[in-house]
Amino acid sequence: MRAGSAVLEQTRSALGAAVRDARAGWSRRATLALVVVALALLAPAVLPLNGRMPDLAGFVYLAVAAVGLAYAVGLAGIPSLGQGAFLGIGAFAEAILRAKGGWPLLPAILLAVLAGAAAGALTGLAVGRLRGAFVAVSTWILSWIVVLVLSSFPGISGGAQGLVLPEASVLGLRLTPTVHYEVGVALLALAILVFAIVAPRGPGLALSAARRQPAAALGLGVPVARLRLGAFTVSAAVAALAGALGVELAQIADPSGYGPLLSFKLFVAVILGGARTPLGPVAGLLVISAFSHAAEQINAVRGLPPGRLEMMLTGYGLLLVLALGGAGLLPSAQAWWRRFRPAPAQVRPQPRAETLGRVQSSRALTARGLSKRFESLVAVDAVDLEVSPGSIHALIGPNGSGKTTALRLLVGVVPPDSGSIALGRQLLDGMSVRARALHGIVGTHQTSAIFADLTVLENTLVGAGLRRRFGGALRTLLATPKARAEMVSTRRKALAALELVGLGNDRDRPAVELPAHGQRLLMLAAALATEPRVLLLDEPAAGAAPVELERLANVLDELRQNGLALLVIEHNLRFVRSVADEVTVLEAGRRIAAGSVAEVAADEAVQAAYLGRQRL
Amino acid sequence: MSLVVQVIVTGLAAGGVYGLVAVGHSLIYRLTGIVYFAFGDLVALAVFTTLLVAAGTSPISQTSLAPGRFVLALAVGLLVCILVGATTYVLFIEPYLLRGSILGWVAATLAIAFTIHGMIGATFTRPAYVFPDPIPFHKVGGDGLVSLGGATVQVRSFFVIALAALLAALAVWALEQTRYGRALQAIASDVEGARFVGLPVEALVALTFGLVGALAALAAVAAAPSAPFAVDTGTLLGLKGLVAALIVRFGSPWSAFAAGLGVGLAEAAIDNLRIGGLGLGPQYGEILPLAFALALIAYRSLRSDGVVSFSRP
Repeated sequence: MRAGSAVLEQTRSALGAAVRDARAGWSRRATLALVVVALALLAPAVLPLNGRMPDLAGFVYLAVAAVGLAYAVGLAGIPSLGQGAFLGIGAFAEAILRAKGGWPLLPAILLAVLAGAAAGALTGLAVGRLRGAFVAVSTWILSWIVVLVLSSFPGISGGAQGLVLPEASVLGLRLTPTVHYEVGVALLALAILVFAIVAPRGPGLALSAARRQPAAALGLGVPVARLRLGAFTVSAAVAALAGALGVELAQIADPSGYGPLLSFKLFVAVILGGARTPLGPVAGLLVISAFSHAAEQINAVRGLPPGRLEMMLTGYGLLLVLALGGAGLLPSAQAWWRRFRPAPAQVRPQPRAETLGRVQSSRALTARGLSKRFESLVAVDAVDLEVSPGSIHALIGPNGSGKTTALRLLVGVVPPDSGSIALGRQLLDGMSVRARALHGIVGTHQTSAIFADLTVLENTLVGAGLRRRFGGALRTLLATPKARAEMVSTRRKALAALELVGLGNDRDRPAVELPAHGQRLLMLAAALATEPRVLLLDEPAAGAAPVELERLANVLDELRQNGLALLVIEHNLRFVRSVADEVTVLEAGRRIAAGSVAEVAADEAVQAAYLGRQRL
Repeated sequence: MSLVVQVIVTGLAAGGVYGLVAVGHSLIYRLTGIVYFAFGDLVALAVFTTLLVAAGTSPISQTSLAPGRFVLALAVGLLVCILVGATTYVLFIEPYLLRGSILGWVAATLAIAFTIHGMIGATFTRPAYVFPDPIPFHKVGGDGLVSLGGATVQVRSFFVIALAALLAALAVWALEQTRYGRALQAIASDVEGARFVGLPVEALVALTFGLVGALAALAAVAAAPSAPFAVDTGTLLGLKGLVAALIVRFGSPWSAFAAGLGVGLAEAAIDNLRIGGLGLGPQYGEILPLAFALALIAYRSLRSDGVVSFSRP
């Protein structure tokens, strides 16, 4: 009894917190969205739409598939031309189960969605590692294969008559076009809501990061392949759902409708409307429908067979958008609107930054006999290295001496030919970049690799995402109490990292607006937000003015005092002298000296390497 | 036996055209890193423009055509192809290429494809067209057919095979021996380097987009009278050429051409051959090469260990 009331009490407080959060997060846009959805749902009861109901319901289902495609195209940046194929797979799975297998409606839909998700997952696995060009080609070929298979095997498609579905009803409710329309609107609202919730939060931010800078995102431990596969699979499943419901609406499955043309139309809808806005695909599809409507009118006047002009007009429309810059209709409209009514300065309440905790670890990063060849070039040759907690270790050497390769070996971007890397007694050999990041070893890139689509704070949040336990897509979507609590603490950590490098006041600016050195600091902050033990920095001082150098030195010093082990690749020897506790000098891949700054500076081999070539 | 001969001749004739499309796909990919989805429709544009000038949009009997008018028609068709290929590249593809936007160029090439496709479809409203035959093959043998090893094959097929091989050789020669070809090689190996030494990179690439279309279109026009030609025939040509180019990883012109011949042969064999009573039939002829290409891409993708593969050579 007491346990029961405790659970009740817990539930009540959780619900209360949820309501408070919902109230705090509620905005005029949310009210507007709710009103629009309610009006859309009420429309059939108020407006004389009876004759048009099937068309409307079909449009809404297609819009659901388009929003689903935006998960892959807009969120994950996967150029998928296969949405028509997944729609077809869902539709024909449904039609075959219902018409030939005699399955009831709901289990059939479930299986159709699973079939679409499986096809999507398989395709995603198969093409996941390819360049975008090949993803586009593969999914395009898939669209052709599906339509060819469906239309050339009467055994599957039911021959010339097509597959005719029995009338469907759920709990005595007949599925009229109006019911389909209501279901479609609800699903569409849900699909848009999912996009709007996930895009600016954990998984969405990570996908945005990986879209522009996959290598940098990987470096922060973002599971890029897994996230992309997930987005692609969900996108295919949504298409299959839309296909299955669409075929229930039409009550007949026609193979010719699910080919490359449908894939193209949906892709165009997403690009036309704006791939990265939740409402973009719907707007794009509306425009395309207007095109086809116009085309049909012209066709009727000129006596052309139906469908001939539709493609041409759709093509023209897309070419026009592309020629105007390709941002998509909604983002362009938004930018235009902002010119007249600038957005009010956002005073977003942010949680107070906490200070980043001290690293409680006495484990040093050690490398023994590390070697790497690239064909005939020996980039790193039997290098030993040790980076201890609470110290700054500088790795210096002339250009091409193997410093960056050594760093890439340490973080796990490239595997060494021989040698071993360990953190304390924990061997790291063979571990992925993400696994090493989870052990606390994170590196930054030599070139500026910020996530251009995100704000400064969001860039840092991508790094902070590494330590999240409840930050998956599903938990983010449902905003579970744990996920929300964690979101707040993650934000605090990200802010702390920003304040530490001195970017606290820039947190809401787009990251691209930062000057060059600011972008380097931002990369450092994102790496810090992963809560590393060992931080490997590739030329953090590049392009820094004297004042900025001093600030950077202070930042590194603070990190050292926090107990981090720091490895810094640097060309600026004056800077090295001011911050480094230890120095390792590489030349042509080999370690020619190691020790304190003074020892190394006195070393003859080093003097020869740095000075030897200049004779007066 | 007779069936085998027929499969080989028809397969090579179809494959020769696929091969030239594959050569174009490879060249474009090596120059720009993009896959040109509008290729097949560009070829169809040349073929249908030729038809428009030669005979209008009315149904045509195969034999009624003056050679002079046909040559003019062909010239107009190829010129339109080159112009459209080059201008669409400059207007729609290049801006996205420079920005490195994959979504942009995928959308652009597809939009070009569907616009051309739709324009042809709106002009030529019949499902398919029979092409006029400029060369009087019907006077050779028995109404244009000869008997070979027990099989009856069209004389035109040999002409198409020879022409396609000749055009492929011409493409290789142009790439290796002319200033234009060497400039393209420079661009393919290092765009910035080519730009640095003062090559007009944009103009050369734009011209190539048109020329590869014209090259394939020439063979397509030669092959067109063999069977009714529809707008979709062009789109499928582009797709099959792409499959061939994918098989050889957008390799050298000769390997791409050979892969095209291979796809043509495979298609003809799947369509017609029955081995031990087991035959697949025409419905597999188009599906299996596509499925093979997809499986090959998947296999290569899973074997590669990095995020990025298929890097441009």
